[in-house]
Amino acid sequence: MGKQIIVKTLILFAILGYGLGSQAQVQVSARTDTNRIRIGEQVKLILSATLPDKGAGNVVFPQLPDSFTHWEVVSRTGFDTSAANGNKVLQQTLVLTSFDSGSWNLPALKFDVLSNGAVTDSAFTDSLLIDVGTVEVDTTKAFKPIKAVRSVPWSFWDYWLYFAIGISVILIGIGLFVYFRSRPKKEVLKPTAPAVPPYEVALLALRQLKEEKLWQQGDVKQYYTRITDILRAYFEQQFNIPALEQTSEELLQHIKPVTILNQQRDRLRDLLTIADLAKFAKLTPTPEEHERALSQAFEIVEWTKPAVEKAKESEKANDADAGKTEGAGN
Amino acid sequence: MENTSYDIRQLNEKIHQASAFVDLLNLELGKVIVGQRYMVERLLIGLLAQGHVLLEGVPGLAKTLSIKSLSSAINGKFSRIQFTPDLLPADVIGTMIYNQQKNEFVVRRGPIFANFILADEINRAPAKVQSALLEAMQEKQITIGDNTFKLEEPFLVLATQNPIEQEGTYTLPEAQVDRFMLKVVIGYPTKEEERMIIRQNLNPQPSQKINPIIQPADIMKARDLVREVYMDEKIERYILDIVFATRNPEEYKLQKLKPLIAYGGSPRASINLAMAAKAYAFMKRRGYVIPEDVRSICFDVMRHRVGLTYEAEAENVTSENILSEILNAVEVP
Repeated sequence: MGKQIIVKTLILFAILGYGLGSQAQVQVSARTDTNRIRIGEQVKLILSATLPDKGAGNVVFPQLPDSFTHWEVVSRTGFDTSAANGNKVLQQTLVLTSFDSGSWNLPALKFDVLSNGAVTDSAFTDSLLIDVGTVEVDTTKAFKPIKAVRSVPWSFWDYWLYFAIGISVILIGIGLFVYFRSRPKKEVLKPTAPAVPPYEVALLALRQLKEEKLWQQGDVKQYYTRITDILRAYFEQQFNIPALEQTSEELLQHIKPVTILNQQRDRLRDLLTIADLAKFAKLTPTPEEHERALSQAFEIVEWTKPAVEKAKESEKANDADAGKTEGAGN
Repeated sequence: MENTSYDIRQLNEKIHQASAFVDLLNLELGKVIVGQRYMVERLLIGLLAQGHVLLEGVPGLAKTLSIKSLSSAINGKFSRIQFTPDLLPADVIGTMIYNQQKNEFVVRRGPIFANFILADEINRAPAKVQSALLEAMQEKQITIGDNTFKLEEPFLVLATQNPIEQEGTYTLPEAQVDRFMLKVVIGYPTKEEERMIIRQNLNPQPSQKINPIIQPADIMKARDLVREVYMDEKIERYILDIVFATRNPEEYKLQKLKPLIAYGGSPRASINLAMAAKAYAFMKRRGYVIPEDVRSICFDVMRHRVGLTYEAEAENVTSENILSEILNAVEVP
């Protein structure tokens, strides 16, 4: 019996001893920077836990909701860890405010002690009482109106970016203006009317050829080459037929749409055929044929002259009509 | 007209008489070939100018019939070689076989020993076979074992290419294509021509037979005459201008063509253009060449000799487009 009492007493002391030991290992506290605030003012709540540096496991701070009875949490800091007297001190600061006047109790907050991932113990802080006072209104004085908006003093540095952009735009504008003014201007090619009409050029060239007396000097090939070249150049300038790049057969095909030229088709064919023979087949036509070739060339150009003049006159008439219409419109 | 250059008149008359067979030949071929005058004309140019013809066109355009008929009309030997991927050079030129009775190797001549060869779908055979044929075309002789054989004259190769099927083909390299004097692109016949073709084929009576009009020896004589056709230096310059414009278009105020042309015509292009122009003049029964002759055969001689850049291909510019631009820019003498 006596033995049993001794054993039970020892077990009891052991349990109590373990419990006291654990409590002594983790110390928690909660304090505020003031215990009196006015409504809406803020109070700092500092939560701290002191753990032995080794072997005390970890501690879980209380999780206060953003809003609880009479209080609202404005902000909360992270955990600040420091060492003091061989202990580890964990600290968190919460900023609270209250919009209810009165004396309000901040309840005791629970810290869980973790060891090997499991909650092995809990520690509680003391509860705190904080007075939340209202603002005293002096009713003897008259109500004042809301203050007007205060004007902020003007500062260059508030607007420097806008100034910089504005100045840059002006400088670029000036730069472009100077560039376009000073660059060499392209010469505007004014359409210049040919000094001499193509048919006159052709007639002149044919007359010149006659005077040169090429075939009489034995240069038959050159004589026919010149005749056909003069005619081809004339067709090209006067009728926009690319005659210089066309063969005789192609040229005869391409004059078809030009009625006045087409009327000279047979004459032109004769001339081109004899010219081709002289140019490419080493054949020398008779003096009569030489003369005839040149006179045929003259006739072709002369034949087309009235059409050219007629076209010119109608062009002038059109221009005059257009001028009159413009004048009437004005 | 007084003729101070008697030779030309004589030549002109000689050629006028000698080229009479061309009309007869056309008439005879017209008995079995409907339309395709352009192709037949080009075949004759190739035959007279000693060139070979590469023909491009879809199947069924009477390519075989044309050359076979031409061969019959000239009383020549015709053979057709269908080019396939497994064809060997020996299948074309021939090989040595062992004769057990005589106890010796004898030469077995290939189908290339003929006057007219149709190399059908030449781009279906590998390069080795193509080279064998092209070498024979160039050298006009064949070596089998230790024996060298001269090919029969006239010798005309008509090679065909199908433009629509390119899968599994061996494209002829530029250097090989250059050996063909003409590359002729043929199209479909007209509606009226095709109606005639249908009638001809549905006729219960057998189609007309081609009779020999001339002999191969006459062709050889005509070839000599073609070489005699007079070409003035103005025409020579015109030919050179065209060929040089494919090489240096900027010198002919054709700067825009410069980025489109990878390479221009070779000297062989100039030679062939001159020869083909002479043959064309002969066919037109003239003893001299005029610019029309050059222009008429220019596309067929030059289209495979103008290399296009990637830029040209991307812009769908063809060698025909380039040649048109050149012909429109180069001054005719």
